[in-house]
Amino acid sequence: MSAQPRRLYIFTGKGGVGKTTLSKAFVQYFKQNNQEALYLTFRNQAIGDKHEGNSEVTKNGIKEIYLDLEECAKDYIEKKLNSKLVGSWIVKTPFFKSLVNMVPGFSYVIYMGRILEMGKENPNLIIVLDAPASGHALTMVESTTNFQQIFGSGVIFDDTAKMLSKLNDPAYTKINVISLASVMSWQEAVELKTGLNERTPVQVDITVNNALAPLLEGNTEELPVGIREKILNEKSLLDEHASEMRCVLSHSLGTNYAAIESDLVGSLSKLI
Amino acid sequence: MTLPVKSFEIFCGTGGVGKTTLATSRALCLADLGHRVLLITIDPARRLKDLLGLNLDSVGEVTEVNFEGKKLHALLMSPEKTILRMAAKFKTPDLASNRIVQILSRPYGGMNEILSLVEVEMQFESGNFDIVVLDTPPGAHFLDFLEGLGKIRSFFDQSFVEIFTYLGSKTAKAGKRVFGLGIINRVISGGLKKLLSYLQNVTGTQFIEDFVEAVQIIYQSKDAFMKGLAVQDKLKDRKYCNWFLVTSVEQGKAQEAIEMKSHAIHFIHEDHFLVLNKCLEQEMKAWHPTKDKLIQIKDSFQGREIELKKQLKASFSNVLEFPEIISLSPSEHIKQLTLRWNAHVLQN
Repeated sequence: MSAQPRRLYIFTGKGGVGKTTLSKAFVQYFKQNNQEALYLTFRNQAIGDKHEGNSEVTKNGIKEIYLDLEECAKDYIEKKLNSKLVGSWIVKTPFFKSLVNMVPGFSYVIYMGRILEMGKENPNLIIVLDAPASGHALTMVESTTNFQQIFGSGVIFDDTAKMLSKLNDPAYTKINVISLASVMSWQEAVELKTGLNERTPVQVDITVNNALAPLLEGNTEELPVGIREKILNEKSLLDEHASEMRCVLSHSLGTNYAAIESDLVGSLSKLI
Repeated sequence: MTLPVKSFEIFCGTGGVGKTTLATSRALCLADLGHRVLLITIDPARRLKDLLGLNLDSVGEVTEVNFEGKKLHALLMSPEKTILRMAAKFKTPDLASNRIVQILSRPYGGMNEILSLVEVEMQFESGNFDIVVLDTPPGAHFLDFLEGLGKIRSFFDQSFVEIFTYLGSKTAKAGKRVFGLGIINRVISGGLKKLLSYLQNVTGTQFIEDFVEAVQIIYQSKDAFMKGLAVQDKLKDRKYCNWFLVTSVEQGKAQEAIEMKSHAIHFIHEDHFLVLNKCLEQEMKAWHPTKDKLIQIKDSFQGREIELKKQLKASFSNVLEFPEIISLSPSEHIKQLTLRWNAHVLQN
């Protein structure tokens, strides 16, 4: 393995760019290199009736964790107040529920707190976070700072300060923004990267996913006009911005998830 | 299939399917038919912003857009500007000056979904527009926006109201910001006192004071928030609202589109449209490659698309197809898609 991996990898980007597929393939990559990693994502953005609890499954040999907001909130409060009873009572009050739901940024603070706690409990663990898309990723990254300002003092203030010291530590956290090889998607990725850079000092790299051009190298003369044009557009984008792309991943012809994933795994070392 | 014109046209879908571009072209098509159209969008890509003239100065303001002779109005959501409008309209200036409200209404403070509901209703009430086209926010969950309705309702629910009416009356008697922990400690209602005292252990006392003040100020604007709930009735009304659930061939997520419908079931009515964007089928049919690798690619593309359409048509009675537009220029995308919308309208 080329570089020392970080502890937390955040995958984001416009919807439909392959965040979930790449996050899982990335965990697979670590596994193949004998490192302990897991896939993690948020189950919900609100405390509501679809309360399913945190869950953990093992699929294709990798551990996947789905975090539930209510349970994470309950665990945090329990710990801070040293009482299971009070913790579960507080999250059940309409007051707390409606407050968290009305202010979605708060849910990200709860989730990020939980993730960093997991990282602390197991110092060898690498967490790959399949994070929300674009604008929501900025909310996620900004929320800890916003709430630190809102609280001003107290235990949560101290905790958010501790969280920020990890989230903003380039040796701890890295963000991979995923884009497609189209102009609109690329521009959104660049905007997102700029937005992230304004909010955190950690490394933010853009990876282009699902590119057709490399796959069709030398085979373009027989393509239908539209597809050829699409590939030419892709090529000009890939050439023009080559230096800003951390990595370009080809479209996979795999017909099922496992085949697509195994196509990808070999090319992911640059995302470390 | 008929594609009527309605007062409220809403575009839903997961990110990256072309929702904003389709909503924009739909708005232009409607403007071209002579309607006064407002397009409300949240966080579009920069080139589309440029195209619509939504530069930094106009963020959060209703802006006139002139696209190749077609005129419409566009509004790029800014929570901060919506808060200012609410404060002005409902004469609650404290809402705009409260510190916590200000932090939360930063562009990425997370309040976009809920405030866009309020904004839609304020724009309807203005009477300036015949049609509002809404490009819903791309969320981790595409229904964040719709669920905003329930969030507003529960935030202002009855038990809550009592407490803050009580706090409000104390404040009104003694002038601004008199209540502090003393008063909170005297509140004997719904366990709130106990809750706040626990929270205080975690959050510090200053926060509890600031927080109660912020909630109280938000309460003064309760009417503005509650009006947002009127949107829900409009969404259910088939005479009033056109629903477009958008998905794209590129993503091949039939299951997600079907789930989208089942999740939206409480908000949506029967006459909705599934919009399948970025279709390549025609292009593929006309292509006859000879090299093995290209044949493999054609089969893979065509096979995936045909299968996707089959699945979608089994679940949706109204499917509108839009071709993949191959061009580097977003204005070309909009132009071509506007023509497609016209064609869909004319088919009837």
